[in-house]
Amino acid sequence: MSSVQDTVFDIIAKESGIDRARITPDATLKDLEIQSLDAVQIIFEIEDHFKITMPDRDPKFDTESVKGLIETVEKLLAEQATQPVP
Amino acid sequence: MQRVVITGMGAVTPLGLGATATWSAMREGRVAIGPITSMPRDGLRFGIAAEVQGFDPLAHFEEKKLILLDRVSQFALVAAREAIAQSGIDFAADGLGENTAVVIGTGIGGEQTHDEASRRLYAENNPRTHPLTIVRLMANAPASQICIEHKLTGPSFATSSACASANHALAQAFHMVRSGVADAAVAGGSEACITLGVIRAWEAMRVMADDTCRPFSRQRRGMVLGEGAAVFVLETLERAQRRGAAILAEFAGAGMSADAGDIVFPSEAGAAKAIARALADGGIGIDEVGYVNAHGTGTPANDPTESKAIRRVFGAHADALAVSSTKSMHAHALGAAGAIELVATIGALRDGVVPPTMNFLDPDPECDLDYVANAARERPVRVALSNSFAFGGLNAVLALRRAP
Repeated sequence: MSSVQDTVFDIIAKESGIDRARITPDATLKDLEIQSLDAVQIIFEIEDHFKITMPDRDPKFDTESVKGLIETVEKLLAEQATQPVP
Repeated sequence: MQRVVITGMGAVTPLGLGATATWSAMREGRVAIGPITSMPRDGLRFGIAAEVQGFDPLAHFEEKKLILLDRVSQFALVAAREAIAQSGIDFAADGLGENTAVVIGTGIGGEQTHDEASRRLYAENNPRTHPLTIVRLMANAPASQICIEHKLTGPSFATSSACASANHALAQAFHMVRSGVADAAVAGGSEACITLGVIRAWEAMRVMADDTCRPFSRQRRGMVLGEGAAVFVLETLERAQRRGAAILAEFAGAGMSADAGDIVFPSEAGAAKAIARALADGGIGIDEVGYVNAHGTGTPANDPTESKAIRRVFGAHADALAVSSTKSMHAHALGAAGAIELVATIGALRDGVVPPTMNFLDPDPECDLDYVANAARERPVRVALSNSFAFGGLNAVLALRRAP
């Protein structure tokens, strides 16, 4: 398990109050019964932790999987790493 | 029970300074949403809003008085002056002012004062807070300032229910005049919420559009913040006729409800309940209604929920309704929204012209009503509703009839 995935799982479990064992990469937010406000808080905590800015669109409850979130975080971190330090 | 009418309206909005200018812009389908000009945009994620333009406080207030007034009170006072002047009502005659109510809704209150005080305190480490900070920022300041300026001593207060604040204010005023608790009322809503802190807070909720406000359209991307005020004079039909006042519309009913569900996600049942109660309160048959000024924020969640709520109440008649969101033009003025939208609702009743939903691209299968897309439409309207559904699940719907 990547450390990004580990952290994202931790954040989802903490913010939504669901059992961490229920979270899998393929689960959608809807599968996990995560409400819209919890989803917004999850994204906020992810942004705060990784010091990134996620694309500003509503999480798609039916289709957005946890894996999708992790991939977005990894992509943003990779972009950050390749940028020259100002 | 008295019949209640509206005999004056005033407005300060991104569409114009004055109710007439605002309504003309709505008929023309003018969109006042654009890049924010009142602050540097580099700290903002999207940097669009609908701002009141060309409002010069010194044109309306002496400097000494201005010290007491946050922008939210300035807007309310200027709108109230216009409404009272149009109504021609004389509060000094026969002690009318003694029992005239003032109810002004605001979602946030004196936000610019609060913002400035916080900046001095936290950013500048300046421990000296301005002594008039409280007087300016308290949410009842707009109502209190109107009472003071016009010597109105009836039951007066502010209402606060986020995006439904103005409709709750108008509903309270209406019920007081109808029941005889007050002889007349000055009521509406005001908001001046465009500060860095408030914009960032809305952006953080991820409900804001980055392009413009496209209610009910498949490509809608969220809401856009606005600001402004609208204020109305309510009195009994009997008094208005006796003094020969020009009646703008009859205030027929008001319905309110709480979702008691999610703190932000809207409820079809809660919205439908408020609509049905407004109709029942006004003794209105569903087939009498021709126009609904929708809450229509342009968020993914509101628009389908509101459309379903309208369909739930009106059944087959829903297809005969014109439904539009003027937020597509003046954006979402939060606690002033319902009041600004009442200008549109009254305009539709008076002129037989339904204002459009602008910025409309493609229809959304989830939103299946007639949204009067992109151009105003001539259509006689006998009865119209104005919806407001707030974050927090507090709903208020107003029902108006064409002037008798």
